[in-house]
Amino acid sequence: MKHPILEIRVMNIDRYNLTAEDSLTVFEFVSDGPNGRLAKIIKFSETNLKGLYNLAFGDKDLETGDLNDLAVSNNGDSEKVLATIVSAVYAFTDCYPNSVVYATGSTKARTRLYRMGITKYLDEVKKDFYIYGQHNYDWEFFEKNVDYDAFIAKRKNRNFTI
Amino acid sequence: MNINELNKRKTPVVVIDNSLKKYKDMPLFQDKVHKANEMLKTIGLPDFTKRKAK
Repeated sequence: MKHPILEIRVMNIDRYNLTAEDSLTVFEFVSDGPNGRLAKIIKFSETNLKGLYNLAFGDKDLETGDLNDLAVSNNGDSEKVLATIVSAVYAFTDCYPNSVVYATGSTKARTRLYRMGITKYLDEVKKDFYIYGQHNYDWEFFEKNVDYDAFIAKRKNRNFTI
Repeated sequence: MNINELNKRKTPVVVIDNSLKKYKDMPLFQDKVHKANEMLKTIGLPDFTKRKAK
C-alpha cells in the first residue's frame, strides 16, 4: 500500500524519520544505536481542557506492543531523539495550530534532559513557539539555567492574538 | 532532489501509517495526562496574552 506523505516544516537538525497515523496524534520512529533498533512512540493526548495536549513518549516492546515511558535505552542518540520529538511537535502543531502542548518528564532526570534539549535549540524554537516553564507553581517564559518541572509550547501563528 | 538535499530542508517527510491508530484510543501514558490535569487545577495555563518585552 502506498502511504500519502505530508511535508511539514521543522528545524534543520539531525533527526529520525517519523511515521504517524492520519490525525497526527500518534507518531512512531526507530532509534538506531549501539543497543540496536528501538521503536519509540510519541503520543499527544487530550486533557480535560480542550486544545491542551499532553506530549509523552516511550519505548515500544516489539513483541507485545506495550509502551514503557520509564525505559532507559542508552542508545547513544538522546540528542537525535529529542530533535525527533521536537519535529513531531512541529508536525502536530502544523495540523493543530491553536493547540497548547504540555510536557514533563517521567522522572526528574528526564525532565532535566528535556530542559537541556529545549535550551540547546531555544533560539531556533523561539522563532516558531512561545515556550513556558513551570517553576514554583507558576508559569514563566522559558529561560536557560532554570530548573523547571514542566513545559508548555504554543505555536506562533497568524490566528493568535498578540 | 536527492536524499541529502531532502534531509537539509526544514521540511521533513511524515509517512502515514494507520496501523498506529490502535494507540490513539489506548490510555497510554495516563500518569502524564493526570499530571497535566492536576497542573490545570492548581496553576492553570500561562497568560498567553502577555508577551515578554524584548
